[in-house]
Amino acid sequence: MTNQTSLYACLYLREFPAQALLRHRSDLHGSACVVMSGEAPGEEACSLNTKARLSGMKHGMSRVEIETFAKPIIMRRSIAIETVTKAALLEVAGNFSPRVEDLSEDTAFVGGIDILGTRSLFGPPEELAKSLLMQIRALGLSANIAVSRNFHAALSFAKGFSRRASVQMVNPGEEAAALSSLPLTVLAVSAAQLETFASWGIYRLGQLAALPEKQLISRMGQEGKRLQQMASGTLPHLFQAIEPPFRLEDRLELDAPLHILESLLFGIRMMLNQLITRVSARVLALASVTVTLELEGKGIHERTVRPALPTNDKELWIKLIHLDLEGHPPPAAFVAIALRAEPGSTSKVQLGLFSPQLPEAGRLDITLARLSALVGEGNVGAPALPDQHLPGSFRVERFALPSGHTSMGISAISRVSLRQLRPPEPVMVMLKDARPEGLRFRTRRYVVEHLYGPWFASGEWWNRDRYGLEQWDLTARGEDGSILCCCLMRDRVRNRWQMAALYD
Amino acid sequence: MVRPVVSSGIESLDSVLKGGFPVGAVSEVTGPDCSGRTSLAHSLVARVIESGKVAAWIDVSDSFDAASAAAAGIDLRRLLWVRCGVTEISHLEPVREFALPDAYLIPSKPKRGLHGGGHGTHPRQEAKGLSNAVSGLLQGEPLSPRCAESQRKLRPTQVTCAPASRLAISAPQRRSVLSPYERIEQGLKSADLILQAGGFGAIVLDLGGIAPEFVSRVELGMWHRYRVAAERTQSSIILLTQHVSAKSSAELLLRLHPAEMVLNEATVFTGTQPRAEVARHRFQERGSNVLPIRKPPQNANIACWQNRTSWAGQR
Repeated sequence: MTNQTSLYACLYLREFPAQALLRHRSDLHGSACVVMSGEAPGEEACSLNTKARLSGMKHGMSRVEIETFAKPIIMRRSIAIETVTKAALLEVAGNFSPRVEDLSEDTAFVGGIDILGTRSLFGPPEELAKSLLMQIRALGLSANIAVSRNFHAALSFAKGFSRRASVQMVNPGEEAAALSSLPLTVLAVSAAQLETFASWGIYRLGQLAALPEKQLISRMGQEGKRLQQMASGTLPHLFQAIEPPFRLEDRLELDAPLHILESLLFGIRMMLNQLITRVSARVLALASVTVTLELEGKGIHERTVRPALPTNDKELWIKLIHLDLEGHPPPAAFVAIALRAEPGSTSKVQLGLFSPQLPEAGRLDITLARLSALVGEGNVGAPALPDQHLPGSFRVERFALPSGHTSMGISAISRVSLRQLRPPEPVMVMLKDARPEGLRFRTRRYVVEHLYGPWFASGEWWNRDRYGLEQWDLTARGEDGSILCCCLMRDRVRNRWQMAALYD
Repeated sequence: MVRPVVSSGIESLDSVLKGGFPVGAVSEVTGPDCSGRTSLAHSLVARVIESGKVAAWIDVSDSFDAASAAAAGIDLRRLLWVRCGVTEISHLEPVREFALPDAYLIPSKPKRGLHGGGHGTHPRQEAKGLSNAVSGLLQGEPLSPRCAESQRKLRPTQVTCAPASRLAISAPQRRSVLSPYERIEQGLKSADLILQAGGFGAIVLDLGGIAPEFVSRVELGMWHRYRVAAERTQSSIILLTQHVSAKSSAELLLRLHPAEMVLNEATVFTGTQPRAEVARHRFQERGSNVLPIRKPPQNANIACWQNRTSWAGQR
């Protein structure tokens, strides 16, 4: 057991705007990409990927200068994408420690993690840093991680080492020696200070740390002392932990408007993959996913998919979203895809040895979505009877697997069932003394044998409508001996006879 | 070998079927309209759901009545209803409303005659003050009464707020406009999907409202596929048709004859009395393989029962 008082892991992602934009665009990793910021005539490069930097592009170049290079891919900076990426990063960091600090700069993500006392959970700091790096790589990003007892030393290390995606450990007590070879630019030094130091011939942190303290303060003030302490790795740090909200969001912006569903699903699949990774790190599952498509011009197309049970099955989600978007395609081409998910608890279904076999929840969701696509939405589900007297009223509710046993009691008497004719079919009725005597239905003649009614039926009694429907129950015998047992309706307003239902 | 069965809920039929409908097989219930097919299927589905399973009703002709299903004892939350061939048409049907036009309700202006409004051709023939009197009857304000004059009490004119003729807009209705072939295709595809999902205790494919000339065009291979799938998933497929369609793929063929009427009450329709004949039942136990010399006792293969309406009392 060491008697350490503090231990920090520092996370540094350089070129964050470019990394955030290229996170889901693995196809662009081989080409030179530049992220521009600012208004159209005066826009300048704010972030580059490695390929662009190697080909000679620099920060602050104008669009015209960038376009002189061979085939640069120029992208607009998107704060929205950076925000969701930052949230994802903080969430990954939060998996290792509850104390996370966000010190992001304009074009770089800087995060500090207080990892004191996590040895028993994640092993030694090297192991922790490696698994943190693995998780960040799973997000499609690359980062530098440095671990030190001094926060600023860790930060300088993470910034200073140019080898990408590396893990640096600073042993306790060796901070000053380890930092001595780093350039001054890793500290937050202003241009004027940098110029002063350059005139003194000081370019490295080791040189700064070796300066006499009093003389430095007399020339540069307290700021000089602070810089010297940072250079020697002795400046204390007040850790201001933040609590990032758990928000499952992701966003992808496209270069050109797109309308092909398969391409959309390709993007959704990548984003969904990361959402599932993030949500399963918290032992949760996705309960619903909302796909928001920003359409070309103005407008938004939003669809929400909510299966019966929260699940992390990616293929199931893809299938459900596919079926939903196939049934409700976006009205125009889209330029951005945003995914928002709600977490739910992972469902555990206790199956009994003697309980009856029921459909599997995941497969049932897909089946219902397919059925909806086949027969139309609103035509698949569990029937429900609304609490009203309107004849023939019903509601189709979402079919969900019931829990527990049915509460309905079945009577021993067999009941006559109705077959509704939707819409009611016209019927020709012969009357005698204003009562049906014979009828002609579906090209067959029938003679009425028994007649019951009429009962007056109409719409809602609270409306002013008069009772405009007459209902007759009758049994009739056809010429060929067939029996018709039906419910006839007479519309008194239009004086029209209709066959409403058959007793079967 | 014990073959699992599910009770149909009708005693006489169950005894003829030796327990009930087969599980994991296709059963066909065929018969004309009003012969009691739907009530039989409702009763069976209610028993399946009562045992804790879920059921599916593929409604090819869109004629399922939720109220009578509930009356038969089906827990509707456990029933998946697939309505085939329904497309949404929002149609506005004008409902004619009668109301008097305003012209009949507001009194017209008193007509002034040639001289005093008395409609005479000459002042001598003029009925004096007639016009005023008439207008006085209709409206209360033509003359301001003098102080001592007795005033005729006038009733205030009733203001009738008759609604102008308006179009009552009915809710958008869903109507079946697809052809029977398209509906059958939807129904068969739905049955396929539900069979693939598995776990349904009973699947009712209701083709009872479709004319046999359309249903008979369904390939026999389709029914065979259903039979194999039913065997695999152990669900009972009930086929409601007007004419025999599944042929040898059906393990049980139940032919319903035109039902008799139950005439208990003079004022209300009380029910029907269906009659079912078991036309084919596979895997029936036979006594022995030895053919006896005498004619063996024949199985009773006709069942009769009563279906009563929910409003008719128990007798």
